Amino acid sequence: MDAFESNLLHGASRLIADLSEFFRDYKVDDTTFAIYAKGNTRNKGLFLSRFFAWTVLPNYPVSLFCVDEGKSLLSTEKLRMRMDTVTKVTDRDELKWAWLVVLSNRALSPQIVSFVSRYDRKELGLAVASTTSRQIVLSNNQVGRSIGKQLKLRKALGSNRRWIS
Amino acid sequence: MPFVLLSALVINAILVNYRVIGGPLKILFLGGAFPVGFLVGRLIYARRSHVEILFDDTSFRVIKGSRETQTGSWRSFRLVSLVLDQLGKPNLRLYRSSKGDYVDLPISRTNADPQRFRDYVQTLISEVGIKETTPQVVEAA
Repeated sequence: MDAFESNLLHGASRLIADLSEFFRDYKVDDTTFAIYAKGNTRNKGLFLSRFFAWTVLPNYPVSLFCVDEGKSLLSTEKLRMRMDTVTKVTDRDELKWAWLVVLSNRALSPQIVSFVSRYDRKELGLAVASTTSRQIVLSNNQVGRSIGKQLKLRKALGSNRRWIS
Repeated sequence: MPFVLLSALVINAILVNYRVIGGPLKILFLGGAFPVGFLVGRLIYARRSHVEILFDDTSFRVIKGSRETQTGSWRSFRLVSLVLDQLGKPNLRLYRSSKGDYVDLPISRTNADPQRFRDYVQTLISEVGIKETTPQVVEAA
């Protein structure tokens, strides 16, 4: 978790979003997010890149949520609950979209793999990863695929397996 | 570096005033511009820009140069986060309430590890929260 947050602090997400504030163990209702990061889609940069961002990029507020499920069973119902909480925060804070990364210490069940890989709502990018098998599953939308490409989750887990999306 | 240059100019002016135009003595005196310039720069930095955060389990103090800029007690805060500044350096943000006013601690200007320091502060703040919400034993009549 620390390695993943460290990647984000060092600007791993900067091509997609400029995450600028990071909370740990952030509680929303019954869910405790191990990492909750807030930011927007317009990155800062210096001179030319800042001018480019200011003139071209939209300034949407976005967030990243990361849950560590530990050794408890990650069922589709539990995942849906986490997604509902994130959607609630997204609506409350008027976010354009959000990333939800769920880490588990157990192997991912086929139901979870199927559910996540078929998920395609554009407002929520979903990633489920097993820290034991190092399998990472991404949702079938642009925001979800960017978790694999930009957020360096694979590097944080030390994964040697290919993405499933 | 500008202070080294400035010191060299001042030393040169003094040498010209005392009619030391050339020779090894002038080179020797001008060589003194490096330690003098460095010391002047260091002194100005220490008095104006050096940031020190002093803390214990109950309170913190931020000292910038020779002035105390912030002081507070961990008990008065509810939430802590890491905020990246304009240069992408992480600083600590302490919230008095979940959406209320906040105080920024410039930890990026110290040698503290931002994540470890944030975790330490979070532990202190959550301990305060637990202590405050622990129900008191009340005797029923």
